[in-house]
Amino acid sequence: MTEKTAKQVLFDPLLNNNPIALQILGLCSALAVTVKLETSLVMALAVTAVTGCSGAVIGAIHRWIPGSIRIIVQMTVIASLVIAVDQLLQAYAFTISQKLSVFVGLIITNCIVMGRAEAFAMKNGPWMSFLDGIGNGLGYSMILIIVGTVRELFGSGKLLNITVMKPVTDGGWYPTNGLLLISPSAFVLIGLIIWVIRTIRPEQVGKS
Amino acid sequence: MPRESVLNTFRVAVLLCLVCSVVVSSLAVGLRDTQQTQKETFRQQNILAAAGLWDPDSGTAQEARDLYERSITPVVVDLETGRVDPDIPPDDPRTDPRVAARDSRLHTPVTELGEGVRDIARIRRREHYSTIYEVREDGRLKTVILPIRGYGLWSTLWGFIALDVSRPEAGPEGITVRGLSFYAHGETPGLGGEVENPLWKAKWPGKRVYDADWNVLIEVSKSAASDHQVDALSGATITSNGVTSMLRFWLGEYGFGPYLRSLLESAANSTLRTAGIQVSAVP
Repeated sequence: MTEKTAKQVLFDPLLNNNPIALQILGLCSALAVTVKLETSLVMALAVTAVTGCSGAVIGAIHRWIPGSIRIIVQMTVIASLVIAVDQLLQAYAFTISQKLSVFVGLIITNCIVMGRAEAFAMKNGPWMSFLDGIGNGLGYSMILIIVGTVRELFGSGKLLNITVMKPVTDGGWYPTNGLLLISPSAFVLIGLIIWVIRTIRPEQVGKS
Repeated sequence: MPRESVLNTFRVAVLLCLVCSVVVSSLAVGLRDTQQTQKETFRQQNILAAAGLWDPDSGTAQEARDLYERSITPVVVDLETGRVDPDIPPDDPRTDPRVAARDSRLHTPVTELGEGVRDIARIRRREHYSTIYEVREDGRLKTVILPIRGYGLWSTLWGFIALDVSRPEAGPEGITVRGLSFYAHGETPGLGGEVENPLWKAKWPGKRVYDADWNVLIEVSKSAASDHQVDALSGATITSNGVTSMLRFWLGEYGFGPYLRSLLESAANSTLRTAGIQVSAVP
């Protein structure tokens, strides 16, 4: 494996190695919080912060972590960071933290965070691991923002709670698409995104 | 010291735990006051919104704080007797349903409240004390805001209902809804989550709650015809039924029914007294 540059580490996860679209990680929260763009954005920010910081911390101490307890060490670091994010949201973005409810806590179990800690941060220094975390967080964010935009715009006729297309239920003209409001629709959208990415990058198509 | 040795494993584990616990606990302690203020503000805004005094879309947080200070008086009601208990401060933890649910001295399982009582709101336990909010104008009680909760499709909905009690002379039929608001729920956004929709909430004010014999008639209905009925949410039958059930429970005999009854009785008595008619003392 050739050494990657900082730029590659940061931007590869956007299209070439997207955590959701290629690695198919972190789908659970991508389905649950994308009904509105606002929650998608906050969740994206929270996950990016956690992946970045956990990468930096684990990258900095990976030389001292004994192999026998490495997973639990990663978990402890990630859990502490997630609690920190949750506490900060409760203090400074209370209504949004209410809406995200358990999903902030569940960032701990988001496979992207653990996956990057184990696969990258355990072998690289703090700076590169930080960039890798931010990059993967951004890859996750990109999908979340696309899905969140589509679901909120066509599901409730709004974007960031501002009415774009006035729905019929509010006396407007736009008949809202109820399917987009329920979680399975995110599967369809993520499937479409994967299709588009694999059409642009045919090398990502798995060999059967 | 070699990395894989037992001693090093312990050293890393202990150090990591220490560092992480210090970080987490100092954050929790440092942010506690801000979080409390946020929670309190949010609750106050919901109380005001339920009473129709403040609009969450156009009102500012400062307006909400001032309004709350000026017009809302919290009091504690003993749900067993239906009387206001002036000895218990409104922020007493005993009035918090989540605290009360953990202490068998502070709650009664709903099915044990009386003969054949069914837990229609699916709350399992009912607390003994509840904090309610009074709005007075010129010393006269105008509106009471009551906390309600009950199960919908996925989750327990927590909210407030504001009742207009300014016409005690009209009896139970004179009690009408001022407004309704839910501040915590996990219903499907766009379907059951529409309980937050201002257009739906606007259907509530003016609806009557009781018939002349204190039977709770108010309900969410698929074809709202009478002035006891509110249009159901489309695509959210179970959430709509949940709202009906929670209103039936909380405004009924084992919820705030006895309190509202005593409220009307004492108002009627004081009217009689001012009219110069002797009222026989109730022991």
